[in-house]
Amino acid sequence: MAGLSIRGLTKAFDQVRALDGVDLEVPDGQLVTLLGPSGCGKTTLLRSVAGITDPTEGGIWLGDRRIDGVPPERRNFGMVFQSYALFPHMSVFKNLAFGLEMRRLPRSEIRKRVAQALHLVDMEAMAGRLPRQLSGGQQQRVALARAIVIEPDVLLFDEPLSNLDAKLRDSLRDQLRALQRRLGVTSIYVTHDQVEAMALADEIVIMFSGEIVERGDPVSLYRRPIFRFTAEFLGRTNVIEARLDGDRCRLPWGDERSVENPGIDDPAGVAIRPEDIAISTANGSDPHGEIAERMFLGAGTNYVVDAGGVRVRVNVAGTQNDLIDIGTPVRLTPPKSLHLLRRGRHGSAEALA
Amino acid sequence: MTAITEDHTRRAMAKRDQWARNRTILLLLLPGAGYLLFFFGLPLLRTVVGSFTSLDGAFTFDLWVELFSEPVYIDGLFFSLWLAIAPTVVALVISVLLAALLQATFPGRRIFGALYRIPLVVPGIVAAFLVMVMLDRGGMLSRIAEPLGIDLPRMVRDEWGIGAILASTWKNIPFMTLIIGGAMSAINRDVLHAARTLGAGRLTVLLRIQLPLALPGISAAVLLTFISSLGSYAIPNLLGPAYPLPLSVHMYEQGFRRGNWPIVYAMGTLLSVAAIFVLLAYYSLIGRLTGSHARREARS
Repeated sequence: MAGLSIRGLTKAFDQVRALDGVDLEVPDGQLVTLLGPSGCGKTTLLRSVAGITDPTEGGIWLGDRRIDGVPPERRNFGMVFQSYALFPHMSVFKNLAFGLEMRRLPRSEIRKRVAQALHLVDMEAMAGRLPRQLSGGQQQRVALARAIVIEPDVLLFDEPLSNLDAKLRDSLRDQLRALQRRLGVTSIYVTHDQVEAMALADEIVIMFSGEIVERGDPVSLYRRPIFRFTAEFLGRTNVIEARLDGDRCRLPWGDERSVENPGIDDPAGVAIRPEDIAISTANGSDPHGEIAERMFLGAGTNYVVDAGGVRVRVNVAGTQNDLIDIGTPVRLTPPKSLHLLRRGRHGSAEALA
Repeated sequence: MTAITEDHTRRAMAKRDQWARNRTILLLLLPGAGYLLFFFGLPLLRTVVGSFTSLDGAFTFDLWVELFSEPVYIDGLFFSLWLAIAPTVVALVISVLLAALLQATFPGRRIFGALYRIPLVVPGIVAAFLVMVMLDRGGMLSRIAEPLGIDLPRMVRDEWGIGAILASTWKNIPFMTLIIGGAMSAINRDVLHAARTLGAGRLTVLLRIQLPLALPGISAAVLLTFISSLGSYAIPNLLGPAYPLPLSVHMYEQGFRRGNWPIVYAMGTLLSVAAIFVLLAYYSLIGRLTGSHARREARS
């Protein structure tokens, strides 16, 4: 097994550049998710690695073997598609055996390895079924087994869970992660779902308009993003234009906070995650603003607060809190120190959500 | 007692409802099924009946006896089948490759995609003349080949009907390519990509994925080409040999030149029955091919 390196990868179509000089390292055995809005180039990048799309410039290496230009059938990469892409005229068994037949393995070996792979995804009982006789979740598990049965050097996932309903998506996501960890296969996973990206990834790569915006492990990328685009695409965030004064900033509703990273170029505002703000009714003291909207979600309650002329999202977790009515004057308590975001070329991701 | 009578009436009523429903269904079917019966069923029946009717209107087996005792007609039947099966097979192989090629993107694909359709707008008789101009002794090809010292075999009015087969093939390739290409482009591209990543080259993808999945389209194309070539008159008449003549040419000769309509009916019936047998053979072959696949699967 080996890691994957992508250097200067560019894909130009007639008018647009779907990929524009992308550099990416996927360390051996790690799972990297490519996250971005549709049209950001993440799928083109994945397909270039698979060999289905030919990049215009740049190179791809698996360890020290250069693989761009190698046809897909000789790369030994397993791929899982959003549309499952099972062979509709073949049974589950035949679907899995296909890749092994291409490798000219003996029959007994094929039977053994197909059985093992089906066991891994808990589908042994379905070996004789045709794909159309299976549910979406079952089909995708078969597709996953078909991709791993060939013992690939790299696993590629193209939004594999997007066609499934929410509950199934969660359980399949967890199975998928456990399986990838166990097999230790270098993997690239494309998604537009940030929760999926964070749950699965060793590293998240945020893409926009054919370029990489930012990358990092899920925790640091969520907590300390550099760009406004990242902060807004990875979960939701309040980007608040605050008056800066050295390492202090004054929020629109009058509070002062310290800034972790003063002096960055081109600041867009401070980031405050909705779940990091505490909210309390003013009860006679000076209010910061009043509740403009309320959404009860069961596991928590989301508020929008009108405060000093800006709309601030506040999420309160837990089910035991008293709900605050619309129009109630409230006080907001953001964290002690705040993080400044850069505007960057990508602008705001809010409009894309 | 009352319970039994009630049960009876209920059943009688249910039966009446059933009848009413059946009548409604029949009425609804009438415009479609009636049309088919009237315009296709009746003429077909007339043909079959006509093949058992002598010129003076009496019932007779003479026509069938004549058909099966005269070598002219026996040879004609086999030659008809030859002139239908050979171009179907040749055009099928070329069309499958063309259709697969047209699935890919390559420079000039659009021009190519328009060019291959030209034979669609050329009538059969024009196609026959084109082939004659090209391939006849002293035609364009032989004039090109002669200075090079190549002596081309006889291809027009030859005993194998090569000229006729070429013309039918040329004429049918775009039809077949259109139908098969349509069936192929309905296949999810990711399925083909998945096969590639699993280790299948382009040819393997064509044979093991595209062909089986496009099979309904392929069968439709085969049927259309086979039937149209089987009944073709202009092409074998112009390009075929003097002996044997296909049944289509015999039908024209007997009907219009000699007014011998009963034998025309008999030949028409024979040709139709032969066509049905060939198509049954085709479907059983396909069934065996896909079926053996399934059996192998079940064993493994």
